[in-house]
Amino acid sequence: MKPPPFAYARAATLDEALALVAEAGDEAKFLAGGQSLLPLLAYRLARPTHLVDIGRLPGLDRIEPAGGGLTIGGLVRHADLERSAALTGPWRAIREAAAQIGHLPIRVRGTFGGSIAHADPAAELPVVATALDAVFVLRSVTGTRTVPAADLFTGPFMTVIEPPEALVEIGFPAPPPGLRSVFEEFTARSGDFALASAAAAVAPGDDGSARHVRIALGSVGPVPVRAHDAEASLEGAALTPDTVAAAARLAADGIEPGEDAFARPAFRRDLVAALVGRALTRLMNEGDRG
Amino acid sequence: MTGIIGGDVHRDANAPLLAGTAQYAADLRRDGEVHVRLVRSPVAHARITGIDVSEAAAHPGVVAVLTADDLPDVRIPIRLPLFETPEANRFLQPPLAREVVRYVGEPIAAVVATDPYLAEDAAELVDIDLDELPPVTGIADAEAAEPIHPAAGTNVVGTVPLRHGDVDAAFAAADIVVRERFRMHRHTAVPMETRGLLAEVDEITDRLTLWGGAKVKHSVRQALAGMLGIDAERIRVAEVNVGGGFGVRGETYPEDFLVAFLALRLRRPVKWVEDRAEHFVATNHAREQEHELEIAATADGRLLAFRDRAVADHGGYVRSQGILPELLPAQQIAGPYRWEAFAVEATGVITNRTPVGTYRGPGMTEVTFVRERLLDMLAARVGADPAELRRRNLIPPEAMPFTFAMDEGSAVPGLTYESGDYPAALDALLDAAGYDGLRREVAERRAGGECAGIGLAAYIEIGAIGPFEEARVVPDRAGGFTVHVATGSLGQGAETVFAQIVADALRVRVEDVRVDFSDTDEIPMGFGAFASRSTPIAGNAALLAARDLRAKAAEALGADPDDVEFGAGLVRAGGASLPVGKVGEGRARFDKPHPTFSFGGALSLVTVDRATGRVRVQRHVVMHDVGRAVNPALVRGQLAGAASQGIGGALLEELLYDAQGQPLSTTFGDYRMPTASELPEIEVVVVEHRPPESNPLGAKGAGEAGMVATPAAVANAVADALGLEVTRLPLTPDRVRSLLRDAGR
Repeated sequence: MKPPPFAYARAATLDEALALVAEAGDEAKFLAGGQSLLPLLAYRLARPTHLVDIGRLPGLDRIEPAGGGLTIGGLVRHADLERSAALTGPWRAIREAAAQIGHLPIRVRGTFGGSIAHADPAAELPVVATALDAVFVLRSVTGTRTVPAADLFTGPFMTVIEPPEALVEIGFPAPPPGLRSVFEEFTARSGDFALASAAAAVAPGDDGSARHVRIALGSVGPVPVRAHDAEASLEGAALTPDTVAAAARLAADGIEPGEDAFARPAFRRDLVAALVGRALTRLMNEGDRG
Repeated sequence: MTGIIGGDVHRDANAPLLAGTAQYAADLRRDGEVHVRLVRSPVAHARITGIDVSEAAAHPGVVAVLTADDLPDVRIPIRLPLFETPEANRFLQPPLAREVVRYVGEPIAAVVATDPYLAEDAAELVDIDLDELPPVTGIADAEAAEPIHPAAGTNVVGTVPLRHGDVDAAFAAADIVVRERFRMHRHTAVPMETRGLLAEVDEITDRLTLWGGAKVKHSVRQALAGMLGIDAERIRVAEVNVGGGFGVRGETYPEDFLVAFLALRLRRPVKWVEDRAEHFVATNHAREQEHELEIAATADGRLLAFRDRAVADHGGYVRSQGILPELLPAQQIAGPYRWEAFAVEATGVITNRTPVGTYRGPGMTEVTFVRERLLDMLAARVGADPAELRRRNLIPPEAMPFTFAMDEGSAVPGLTYESGDYPAALDALLDAAGYDGLRREVAERRAGGECAGIGLAAYIEIGAIGPFEEARVVPDRAGGFTVHVATGSLGQGAETVFAQIVADALRVRVEDVRVDFSDTDEIPMGFGAFASRSTPIAGNAALLAARDLRAKAAEALGADPDDVEFGAGLVRAGGASLPVGKVGEGRARFDKPHPTFSFGGALSLVTVDRATGRVRVQRHVVMHDVGRAVNPALVRGQLAGAASQGIGGALLEELLYDAQGQPLSTTFGDYRMPTASELPEIEVVVVEHRPPESNPLGAKGAGEAGMVATPAAVANAVADALGLEVTRLPLTPDRVRSLLRDAGR
């Protein structure tokens, strides 16, 4: 569990970091909080030739309102998300998810951008980003592009981020009025990766029915998935114990989890039903309080 | 100085563990040391058709690369005759695989380099050609499969038979027979510190020192002497601080031989520190066994007889603990109940997985789960409360000492329980738990829609296994005393316990007594720290050694031993005094030809989240008869720690393999030990029923006790909560959900 050799450099500015990685070639990696990358190095599952440390770059650690939406810097630590007073209402799921990542020492170091770029199918933040229609800002020496959450994740631990690119910012578009979001997960122990997770968001329609229903699920397949059938069943309907239970069942039936000795497919379906049910029930019960 | 024994004396001797100044094996540094990295088998079963080490040997920093061809043709021996049979000796492990690899993780080559990183880089360059063979990945397949050790001609290590009374007659007379198949899963101890060793040859004396020994230092020395072909006197096995043992640390492993052999070969200090990924495949696994148990009883729940057919897994080789995987369950499945007759056949088998050894409460934890689960099923059949069923059948105090005499051909001549008041001890557990009130509370909670249950289990623990230990009590000029014992310090607080025993006997302060386990040079012979034997065996030896010192002082002073006072570097009696150095040292040996069986139990209150299958242990009470608690705080700590591990084994921890024999639980992400969040405050009930005078200290073992009934109690509680039968562990959320799903819930 000792890493193979690699070159290490710490960048002082983002531009310097982007240049260093571009120079170092395809096997270079950014190092931010190190909470996923360092174990991969120890197990020799990742063999980067160069690590460019961006952990202390200035300017990428802010949580800011932006045109009715929100932007979060790629280096914002999970512990900062967990403690942020700005993450309420539409953004509450971000805070709730961050609070359930690993243990406190992990959350103090781990970064939002790092969790997204690592793309662990069991991670929390990719699920929330999927539910809240996040847009990822990727920057490299040659320019900047944006990728919506639905297009970023291509498989377990795989994204469309190309080696010289850094994920510098996560943007959330302006939510519809009254949108609220929650996050639920099930872990075998406190602090574990989720065996299943669900982020849900709804906005109240004029008639009190549910609008803009978003349900995203994690740890049920190679990438986070939206529970489209469950969302559709609730869109325009009132949240009631019956509609919530039916949506939870639809969400569970809609997943195709792979074989896993620790959590077999039928169990993951049970978990999805329970978690979606719990998430929607919270939204339903809080409905009166807006 | 009355009150030293029985007092919660603080563990001052262990302050370095808290201060961060303790020295673990990885902290040791010797000039010129080199580092070993082992190349381990990536597959479960294969013939080795070629090994090319040339690229690795040419890598920067590499000092040597060894394969089996570079070693003498030796095997790791079974460490005690009691654990050994000629049949078992057919399955012993060579330090590096010879011709065939038999489990993922088996060492094939050793790479030595000047730096551990370079050693790991070079290890990747060892090119091994493997011709894969079909793996045997489960107990059920073992007997019929092609022999994994072709020379043995079988995958059966042996069968331990035990037979007491007329079993057939008892079954014929029974009103009720209950039977079930049970499976205890593979799991093991995962100490916070992985294993680590450092060996060095002294160029002047030509003696080899191996640091990092623990548990059974003298056995390791003996095994190494035999394998290396040198006198045991040329080997010193020394202990350093240890971050947890629990049975798996300190046995003779392939790495112990390799590190010692390399130090002799290279004439340089050689160090090996196991990493966590290695630990999960290289350090002994434990526990996996299947039982088919049937119990015969009367209609009113009186136990008559049982039959048990068990199969225990050894993994790819029989390791240093020999036939214990089948012997220990056979010896302990009878438990604390008054059976008229029983018959046990316990078979050990070889499979293509990591070899097994003992883990805290070995054999007894498994069979307590099996027996106590079936007793709950019987209680349900006869309509008895589980506590009442057990109380009715416990061996009564007036029957003590109680012996199950064995028929001819049995593996042991008999089992004798020396002392105890089992019904009173069980009542102490039930009282502490508030059993009757708890039953009402659970009934109310269920009426309110909760899924809650209570589980109870009782056990007999085989502990304080002999044959003997020696102790020395050596006075120093400054007025202090050093106690030398041959057991070990594995984090139990044994330093404090031995200091209390000697301080009490000498009537001096505890802080004036230093305890030294450190090395095989200080005590010529000893058996080690296992089987809850440190306090009852070595503690008695220390007590007798202190009495010996007192007697010698009395003789020198011409006084009555009881009048002798030690202090300030002097011994005094009446008006006479002598420098303590003139008295010499106290020495004693305590023999214990028969093990001490002790009684205990556990009670668990659990809730189950029906939707997710999560089990929460809300209360867990463990009770154990320790005979006499030298340090009650330490006893409570031992019981609570063991119970915590037991809850982990009952609910979370499992070493899973896939159909190709690949281990699936090789990180802390997949091998889930409980954290503080998953554990309740463990409630501990210490019972002290003094054993006979043949045990002058009066102590029975305590190190493993909290484990033994814990998985059984948790399993019984979950079964009670669900109203469904639990026949295998761990009760992971997935498994609980599948029980509920199968029941249509």
